[in-house]
Amino acid sequence: MEAYLVAIAIVAAIYVLLALGLNLQYGLTGIINFGHVGFFCVGAYTAALLAEKGWPPLLSFSAAAALAMLAAWPMGLISLKLREDYFAIVSLGFSEVVRLVVTSEKWLTSGVQGITGIPKLFGGLATGLPNSLAVLAVLVAVNLLAIAAMRRIVTSPFGRTIEAIRDNEEAVKALGKDPAAFKIQVLMLGAALAGVAGAFYAHYIGYISPDQFIPLVTFQIWMAIIMGGVGRISGALAGTFILMLFLEGSRFLRDIMPFISEVEMASVRLGVVGLALVLFTLYRPTGLMGDFTRK
Amino acid sequence: MNLTRRTTLQSLAAAALAPALGGQAFAQGATFRIGALNPVTGAGSPYGSGMQKMILAAAEMVNAAGGAGGRKFEVFAEDTQTTPQAAVLAAKKLIEVNKVQAVVGTWSSGISLAVIPLTNDANIFLMNTSGAPALSVPPANAKGLSYRFQATNDRFGRAFAELCEKEGFKRPATMAFNNASGIGNTEGFKKAWEKKGGKVVANVVYEPNQTSYRAELQKVLAEKPDVIVTGSYLGDTTIILREWFQTGETTKWVIPAWAANPQLVKAIGNEAAEGLFAVDSISNEGSPAFSAYDAAYQKAMNQPGLSNVYAAMTWDMVVTLALAMEAAGPNADIAAINKKIREVANPDGAKVSTFAEGKEALKKGKINYEGASSVLDFDEFGDVTPDFSVSRVEKGEIKRKYLVKI
Repeated sequence: MEAYLVAIAIVAAIYVLLALGLNLQYGLTGIINFGHVGFFCVGAYTAALLAEKGWPPLLSFSAAAALAMLAAWPMGLISLKLREDYFAIVSLGFSEVVRLVVTSEKWLTSGVQGITGIPKLFGGLATGLPNSLAVLAVLVAVNLLAIAAMRRIVTSPFGRTIEAIRDNEEAVKALGKDPAAFKIQVLMLGAALAGVAGAFYAHYIGYISPDQFIPLVTFQIWMAIIMGGVGRISGALAGTFILMLFLEGSRFLRDIMPFISEVEMASVRLGVVGLALVLFTLYRPTGLMGDFTRK
Repeated sequence: MNLTRRTTLQSLAAAALAPALGGQAFAQGATFRIGALNPVTGAGSPYGSGMQKMILAAAEMVNAAGGAGGRKFEVFAEDTQTTPQAAVLAAKKLIEVNKVQAVVGTWSSGISLAVIPLTNDANIFLMNTSGAPALSVPPANAKGLSYRFQATNDRFGRAFAELCEKEGFKRPATMAFNNASGIGNTEGFKKAWEKKGGKVVANVVYEPNQTSYRAELQKVLAEKPDVIVTGSYLGDTTIILREWFQTGETTKWVIPAWAANPQLVKAIGNEAAEGLFAVDSISNEGSPAFSAYDAAYQKAMNQPGLSNVYAAMTWDMVVTLALAMEAAGPNADIAAINKKIREVANPDGAKVSTFAEGKEALKKGKINYEGASSVLDFDEFGDVTPDFSVSRVEKGEIKRKYLVKI
């Protein structure tokens, strides 16, 4: 049981990293990024390919973050011209382009066959629980670091500016601030977090292929932050927790209620998540941890 | 004696619970837990629930025949959602929480490749229906605990090449759906065909989910092939063949049978479908094992058993495992059971086709289980090499013509 809980915790921690990045972009700056999985993918492939070449994790993880940031650079430039829904469409397209590039560049990524046998982190430790606990510990540390950075950002002048951009971009311009630089920085920061998340993911699952990086992943993160509370760090945490509870908890529901078949359960699971989303938007649009002081 | 309502209730509750607890303790001593890990939702959903139901049905059959090696099967079912991440978590749950000793019925190579490190770590079986060659060899199958009940994509490709040689084709071209399985088929074909000294005039890989494949088709037809070999699925094959028929070309087609099925013929019409070759690893139709499976499938799914080749494989997984357990004797551990798997499935023994029959025959000597999905003979990698059948569409009927052995 412990190992299973640790496994869920690891996946949840990876999701939290993604959610924190998206929260920074959408929650604080108002950039509607529908292509988050693209950066996740860049990070995962970078880490996997460098690990194959024998790079130490510290370097390969940094490279994963750096490349994801680099991929966000052109996206940042686009975000200057396009706002809201238009940027959403382009970002969705971006993540699909990343997936197609990974699919087609067989010499590098071995295409649809995917990359197999990515070494586990802490391979020196005994496989199983000790190993997973070490991975979880590192992930939690990285998450804490990210959260600390977020808190710092929120209370800094930078944080106030990006929140102002979210609330009224024209007003920010009128005050003599250039939103462009801020938006690019925010996109790159979020992408770096997603890249690190991708690196952890690749090493934990041990096998990556293009069909793991579909837009569904992006939308799961969106669900998490919407349910948890947009614009709040605690919201990203709570939302991911709720999401994992729905996705994984439903497995145990079936052990208690064996009369529901697995086929029905799959539909029930999706239905319940959908219903929760609708109910949240109806009755608690600010999310579970929503900010009541504002708006 | 002071009988209060509370103590009465307590003792009643205890009396009611006692057998339940006792039963559980007993059950743990005499059960073998298997995890049915199938693609109930996602891309594998057309097959997943059938696969899962057949695992349950086969386990029930084994239990009804008195269990295997004195143990009864207990099945825990999970959904992979056809994504590796969900599959990994589901497998973790099966292994850690439910303590299963075999994970059966993983579909699609991505899933099996992601799950196999977990089953290896836990030293338990993985029985899969995936085609990727990487699954046969270390690191994936380092412990020899993985068994593949589906022909590898490579073997399909070799069967295609045999067929093209036999039919006297000279200028084959290939079209592949861009995933591991689609490309595996056509690459396998190319390799086998070039080994025979032939040349493949064009290789085209297309992206899934298009509404038209005219551009790809033009590219292939420009090379004037006499036959086009595909690694494709039903949806895209339907579109491709429709568009091909509109061009008026007379090229022949060789298509894997999971795409070239009655639904395809119905969708494109008898005239367009005339003369298509369909290649399939032979579900062991006509065998007694297949009729047993077919009956169970019809009962559970209300469809003919032939409509889901993977369900036949999962049925065989449970039966093979049960026979190996029976052969290994009571309370055998995984290693002992693993030693017996080839012994009960491979030749040189009395041919049997159901668990009950095999259990009887094991008392007298060696057995050879001839499965519902194929004759099930495992090579040193845990792969099966089924025979292949070549069928041809004639007046809207898919008629089996001959067998190809590779």
